Amino acid sequence: MSFLDTPVGGAFRALQDDDHHLGPMQRITGTMRCFRDDEEVDYLVVGVGSAGGVLCQRLARGGFKVVGMEAGRFWDSERDWVSDEAGSHGLYWEDPRVIGGTDPLTLGANNCGKGVGGGSVHWAAFAPRFHPSDFEVYTRDGVGADWPISYQDLKPYYELLELEMPVAGPAWYPWGDPHGYAYGPHPMGEVGNTLIRGCTKLGIGVSVGGPVAILSGSRGDRAHCIYRGFCIQACKVGAKASTLITHVPDALVHGAEVRDRCMAARIELGKNNRVAGVHYFDREGKARFQRAKAVIVSGYAIETPRLLLNSACPEYPQGLANSSGTVGKYLMAQAGNVIAGRFDELIRMYKAPPAHCLTEEFYETDPKRDFARGFAIQTVGPLPIAFAKQMMAAKGVWGWGLRRTMMDYNHWCALGLLGEILPWEDNAVTISATDKDQFGLPVAHVTFNLHDNDKKLIAYGKNVVMDVMCAAGAEEVVQESRCAHLVGAARMGSDPATSVVDGFGRTHDIANLFVCDGSVMPTQGSANPGLTIQALAARTADYLISQGTAIFNTDRRDMTPPPVRRELSPPGTHGDGVPRLK
Amino acid sequence: MESDPARLPVDAEGKPLVPRPQPGYYPKFSTLSQQAFWDAATRTVVLQRVTAPPPVRFFTAPEAEIIQRVIEHVLPQDDRVPERQIPILPFIDERLFAGRTPGYRFEDMPPDGEAYRLFLRAVDLMALEAHGAQFLRLPWHEADVLLQSVHDGKPSGAQDIWKKLPVKHFWTIMMGDCVEAYYAHPWAWDEIGFGGPAYPRAYFRLEGGAPEPWESHERHYAWDLPPGCVSGEHEAEAAHTDTPTHGETGSH
Repeated sequence: MSFLDTPVGGAFRALQDDDHHLGPMQRITGTMRCFRDDEEVDYLVVGVGSAGGVLCQRLARGGFKVVGMEAGRFWDSERDWVSDEAGSHGLYWEDPRVIGGTDPLTLGANNCGKGVGGGSVHWAAFAPRFHPSDFEVYTRDGVGADWPISYQDLKPYYELLELEMPVAGPAWYPWGDPHGYAYGPHPMGEVGNTLIRGCTKLGIGVSVGGPVAILSGSRGDRAHCIYRGFCIQACKVGAKASTLITHVPDALVHGAEVRDRCMAARIELGKNNRVAGVHYFDREGKARFQRAKAVIVSGYAIETPRLLLNSACPEYPQGLANSSGTVGKYLMAQAGNVIAGRFDELIRMYKAPPAHCLTEEFYETDPKRDFARGFAIQTVGPLPIAFAKQMMAAKGVWGWGLRRTMMDYNHWCALGLLGEILPWEDNAVTISATDKDQFGLPVAHVTFNLHDNDKKLIAYGKNVVMDVMCAAGAEEVVQESRCAHLVGAARMGSDPATSVVDGFGRTHDIANLFVCDGSVMPTQGSANPGLTIQALAARTADYLISQGTAIFNTDRRDMTPPPVRRELSPPGTHGDGVPRLK
Repeated sequence: MESDPARLPVDAEGKPLVPRPQPGYYPKFSTLSQQAFWDAATRTVVLQRVTAPPPVRFFTAPEAEIIQRVIEHVLPQDDRVPERQIPILPFIDERLFAGRTPGYRFEDMPPDGEAYRLFLRAVDLMALEAHGAQFLRLPWHEADVLLQSVHDGKPSGAQDIWKKLPVKHFWTIMMGDCVEAYYAHPWAWDEIGFGGPAYPRAYFRLEGGAPEPWESHERHYAWDLPPGCVSGEHEAEAAHTDTPTHGETGSH
């Protein structure tokens, strides 16, 4: 690592001693801008994951001085990633946390990323949009909450991000707001074939080959998918989209600094009810302070509320931006029951991406059912360790019973329920009174309880998936209860008394403090949240850019929707020559 | 580990199956034979696992002896010839020695290292209460039955210890650690017909369960549980009605 002390234009450093790989062809070869701690940057983004990566890229292109601070590593895909389940723990947030409630949420590999790219490095990359109904759940169903924004507000950003990732899928997608995908669908693996066969027998429509943020054809310096099945161990191929490879390189080119292995400890409240910067521990464990004109917290649904709560100060004794008492509350996961079926024929579910076929036929509220909202059914492709854990839960096997079940691994097929769990006040992130992390910071304590509507939805939904598996010809069908994804815990809303941020992600309490990640979602639908998180980040970035220096100088809250800035997309992802539908 | 014939899986006639270098239905299949086609980082990690398991540093020697015996019950390998048995204890020990968590601690559970030590005390006490002997001295079947009661969430003794150690959470953690070691090993991949790493080469035959040219066809044969073995299959609903455990491995 070489620091050049050239004052002109600031300091720069190389990322690695030599080439930095993002997939087999893409490289970061240049140097990265480096800001000094005492240099007041415009935006300090805490967490460079799905949202943080997009924010850094957009804000840097918008001409701002941006630092993205990331607790984990700046990955080199060739050196750091392996096609190996047990060797991939570094991708997941496995720092200590405490879980409880009637239905404790297991964290770590299931739902928490660490390192530049965050969760988008290990997601399976299903990238469906939310439905228009998701934004008005309270109005329609009398449960959950309404968003302060509508589907139409987000739609242009869905369209942008579907090209920036890009998302492969069918030319016609019938659910929610019907639309198509410009990048062609993926070939089927046998898990997808099984879902198609079961659904077709039962008259259920299926989306084949996507929507999934994996390249079905090579583009630029990114190769197409090679169907090796290790998506959630990070894509060495560079085919699966992560902000690490889709947005961070463009952010660096435009002068953003991504400061990895730096753990934010506390946001400092300065004068005039404005934040002044972030206290953090650098990669040597040294306590430092980065000044900033505005701070955006993008730490996802556990670390975002943890940082706000750990930043309590005399002015905000129950946590920064928490005058409503809502920070940490209304945490959501999605029901993610895995339904496994054993077939006489071979399946070999380790081939093809886990995510390649789904149905949203049951997504919307159906008055004939005894619960609000709905669910999706998706392919999953657990590798041996994951599958062994699922079988121990689903079949109660151990010892020789486990060995025997696993010897039939290639005869099993797994499908996932993805069910909407509603936001409940008692599902919450608080600060542990007992446990601290390696920096001495109190860790998150996550409480999770399923409520009546959730339980009814899961009971119904899992039976539908089991019916599909039986219709496909399975001779034995078992299921494991589990949850997937995390959102909520710093929700957006129009009422400052019941929400943390406004429709653009600005905290109601502090004019230069923002939250932008999955934690701002008031409800979650039964779509995987990754695309929506990135779309929200692009919209927040457009807002910040349209506000210019007003964010830094005034407490005025202008709620005028910003123009959509398509020109801020990374190169090669918009305009002439880029595949598009119409 | 010497294989007692009574502990071996049996064929259709109930005769013990002779231990072999590679159990499972893919007799000639070898993922390691394909290592030249793996990327360097993956090859390094997998070969390190095969050739140099970590030293045991967390457990004391007497503790290691008990946990090793427990592992031989909960993930038996008597059907493997001794030199092809997959090490599990060193990988559990390494995680505990390094203080690595799976990303969470149940609020009613002690930290994992302490939990394992409580468990070791519990199995010894259960053995003493029921049989007047230490766990290591129990006949094979009695030890199996004892562990079955832990699996069922209704431990047959040592109730004072289990008050501090929620039994189902602990079972899930310990079994998770065991399969994380066993099914991480290329010999286990060969056993179950998992193709293993495929970057940069790719998989080409995605449909119909077809093997790649370098994979093997399945050759099924009669394989049944050792007679009298208690660790067969159990109804999940019965095992999990009171405290649903949510899986940790992401796949959506």
